Amino acid sequence: MTYLWLALAFIAAAAVAGVVFAGRGARQGEASKHWKAVGLAFAALAVLTAVFDSVMIGMELFHYDSSHILGLKAGLAPIEDFAYPLAGVVALPGLWMWLTRRRNAGAQSNLKGLVPQAILASRPVSWINTAYPFAAAMLLTTREIDWVLIVGTFYFLIPYNLAMYGINDVFDYESDLKNPRKGGIEGALLKPHLHRPMLWLAAITNVPFLLVLALAGGPAAWISLTVSAFAVAAYSVAGLRFKERPVLDSLTSSTHFVSPAVVGLALAGADVTPGLLILLAAFFLWGMAAHAFGAVQDIEPDRQAGIGSIATVIGARRTVRLAVVLWLVAGLAMLATPWPGPLAAIIAVPYIVNCAPYWTVTDTTAARTNVAWRRFIWLNYGSGFLVTLIFILQWGLTS
Amino acid sequence: MGVLYLASLLFGISCMLLLDHRFRLFFWHDAKAAAMVTAVGVLFFLGWDAAGIGLGIFLRGEGTIATGLLIAPELPIEEPVFLLFLTLCTMVLYTGARRLLERLPARQAERERENA
Repeated sequence: MTYLWLALAFIAAAAVAGVVFAGRGARQGEASKHWKAVGLAFAALAVLTAVFDSVMIGMELFHYDSSHILGLKAGLAPIEDFAYPLAGVVALPGLWMWLTRRRNAGAQSNLKGLVPQAILASRPVSWINTAYPFAAAMLLTTREIDWVLIVGTFYFLIPYNLAMYGINDVFDYESDLKNPRKGGIEGALLKPHLHRPMLWLAAITNVPFLLVLALAGGPAAWISLTVSAFAVAAYSVAGLRFKERPVLDSLTSSTHFVSPAVVGLALAGADVTPGLLILLAAFFLWGMAAHAFGAVQDIEPDRQAGIGSIATVIGARRTVRLAVVLWLVAGLAMLATPWPGPLAAIIAVPYIVNCAPYWTVTDTTAARTNVAWRRFIWLNYGSGFLVTLIFILQWGLTS
Repeated sequence: MGVLYLASLLFGISCMLLLDHRFRLFFWHDAKAAAMVTAVGVLFFLGWDAAGIGLGIFLRGEGTIATGLLIAPELPIEEPVFLLFLTLCTMVLYTGARRLLERLPARQAERERENA
């Protein structure tokens, strides 16, 4: 009998809530349709409950202490089990009608297009650039594919980029508006009414993954995840705007790509060796060079919007030269790593070749570097290919 | 330990979301309100479960198709997923029924106009 009393108590609460919500939420003539639909939905739910509850009890997923139930059954399902769908169908549609009453009266949802916009904003063509460092670092250390690797790779493939570029596009709206380059492969203009939903979407898609990955690792993982998430937000949010602080902008941007690798190493519990540190340093220099060179093409629009960057401050020519030098140092650094690391030095060459023709670029011709920037995006795939070959070689040498 | 039950629930949830997407019933009608209704529904049912478990009425089975992972005493990891499915199923049925009820008179009126 106890179950019946428990069920009646919850049904009573649901019924009161359902009647109150329906009374407040229904417009003229809507109430009768509401209750008819509730009846139809309950009829369908009752049939589904009779069938599937019997199946579930038959499969021994759960059972009841027989002294607590009435004993009346539909199939194997005790009559009290129909209380769940009944309470749900009495209360929830009322809540729904009440919550959507204003919208039905004319207000249109302004969330339309949020997800496609967010995907476009996250630069799918660059997703691999953050997922790959994580997956490679972790797989090469643990040498097995476990759930942490899968979850982490997915996180750094999509949610991470959604947050990084989503937040960026919200706070960059003004300068993007003046930049014809945005809106296509390299970024998207985000409509102002989607700004707040975009920030929420970034938070909702990132926080659970960060918590799960933090739980899977120790202090090293917590620190690296915190640095990674902070760099993502600090790069563009109002107040911090690291992207407008010369040098700090390139450092933060490079952190975006190197930190996934560090997180992967931390989660895998990698040994810290000089070779590994040199590798990460070279990767970091590569990232700084990539950011600095990317900023050159935006000198004009950034200046018009009053946005500073390493390129607007030190000028197009010196930024290009800095990028070339950074790539050169990164390549030379790889020569100091254990075999087969030195092979990776060759990867610096195409970047230098791609960038060097702009050695004498000026601020007024800076926009022309966009041609090289477009090549750069595809160059990364070639570099990824070479890096993968080196990793496979390394895998073979150490097994 | 089996994942059949959990997999079936996730499959069921996917089907509900496909219906929702196809007919713009719930999340695809008003995402914010739908999220709120879903959260309230799942929490309400979980509270009910907790009361039943506390009173010693609900007992977990040892079925081979369940993972056997518990998130609280007598509360398997599948339970919140099932409650999510139940809530989605309820709301898809209700919003679907509303859609049907609103279409019927419209169609009757159309037929009458054609006959006239």
